[in-house]
Amino acid sequence: MNNRLYWALPLITGFLMIGIWYGIKWTNDLPHYILPSPDEIMRAGFAEKDILFKAARETIVGAVIGFLSAGSIGFALALILSSSPWIKASLYPWVLFLQMIPVIVMVPIFILWLGPGLPSVAIITFMIGFFPIVANTTQGLISTEKNMVDLFILYNASKPQEIFFLRVPYALPYFLTGLKIAASLAVIGALTGEIFAGSASGSGGLGFMVVIYNSQLKIPELFATAIVACALGFIFVSIVLVLSWYLLRHWHESIAQKNS
Amino acid sequence: MIKKSTQISFEKVGKSYSQGKTVIEAFDLTVFQGDFVSLIGPSGCGKSTILKLVAGLTPITEGNLKVDSKSPKNARAAMAFIFQEATLLPWLTVTNNIQVPLRLLHWGKSKREEVANQLIELVGLSSVKNYYPRQLSGGMQMRVSIARALTLSPKLLLLDEPFGALDEMARDHLNEELLAIRTQEDWTALFVTHSVPEAVFLSSRIIILSANPGRLYKTIPINFPYPRKPELRETLEYQQAVADVSHHLRSVER
Repeated sequence: MNNRLYWALPLITGFLMIGIWYGIKWTNDLPHYILPSPDEIMRAGFAEKDILFKAARETIVGAVIGFLSAGSIGFALALILSSSPWIKASLYPWVLFLQMIPVIVMVPIFILWLGPGLPSVAIITFMIGFFPIVANTTQGLISTEKNMVDLFILYNASKPQEIFFLRVPYALPYFLTGLKIAASLAVIGALTGEIFAGSASGSGGLGFMVVIYNSQLKIPELFATAIVACALGFIFVSIVLVLSWYLLRHWHESIAQKNS
Repeated sequence: MIKKSTQISFEKVGKSYSQGKTVIEAFDLTVFQGDFVSLIGPSGCGKSTILKLVAGLTPITEGNLKVDSKSPKNARAAMAFIFQEATLLPWLTVTNNIQVPLRLLHWGKSKREEVANQLIELVGLSSVKNYYPRQLSGGMQMRVSIARALTLSPKLLLLDEPFGALDEMARDHLNEELLAIRTQEDWTALFVTHSVPEAVFLSSRIIILSANPGRLYKTIPINFPYPRKPELRETLEYQQAVADVSHHLRSVER
């Protein structure tokens, strides 16, 4: 596929979808509070841009705190899990079990414990991103090639040398995969948290605005909020993709092949 | 002739796993300093296991095994292992891969690089020293692996089918290079292979093993003088030796 087509095709699809959108709206004569048109959404978005911008900033704070703590604590737990088969056998089934808890059920519990506001939002984001990171990183750490481990044993490498010089770099692509999943979930997690817990001080993030706009039947504004959240998620994932490219660009097949 | 000192001695060595499977039984072998000993035999004869025992990667369950008159684990400083795959760390460049053993011993950067540069020259990889493993051919990767094994000037080299995955041309080349390197660095070699011609070209002695459980079947000395040239392969004596070893190998496989 040539380069121009590569950029043109998604744009064409986009215009087609907008066309279908208008078509559905006009043929069924739908009012703006059922299905606003793209231009109504844009106008609503611009009218509310100060509010949405401020809300987005709050969502970013919650998402970033939750995401970064999921990354660092998830990585640390993976290191602990992989350090001995005993620890893994006793802890890992519980990690998998806890992963099954629907986060939405935990939301009221966290609000009960921590009160509404940023801490609850951050911890909900954390919970959503944490497990994919632990599972992926642990997988990478324990699946390090046997011969490489033998090589380190033969050179009488210390345990920390084996972990930080061999297992951690080996697990890096796995960790980054976990991070990508967590990044795509971070904004969703923060929004979910805010819908329930975002009203600590009367102002709140995008999730809080969802609640407000919904109660006021401001449907175009609700759509605009969705678009802003979508853009945030896109930025989050992009940052992790860039980081991932930067760290793996020389040596990992998934990325290095594109360069050569 | 001066009596050569013993590098490895197996005395009635046995190896069985906890599930009860016996891999090696009553294995006797003495490898002298400067020997190039090849182990060859049908699959299941435990040749790779023998290397692992020497490296102390898995313990013996019977008999006595000494390397440099020490237990395998305590003799590790004097040995290096070359695996069937190059086993390079994909995130490190050629030169950094070669420096891994030195980094594990906390050598300083300049000293590490000095040693690495010498070895890179020795294996003929100067032009690719800053490449990553994925950019190299299988033969080049194996050269890096050899260079890495030589960083600490080992007295004993354990090679587990190192050229098994290469095409015949690359294999022949590396065989010649390995012997050329050995004229400069005088190590003892214990070499596992599937290839009779390779074993004959490289070895001073070939050990044929029988399988299930692995036992010493026959020792065949190969008396061509070192240094050996590629032309050796074209001589009648070489062909005869290959035929001879193949014959014994067939009789053990039956």
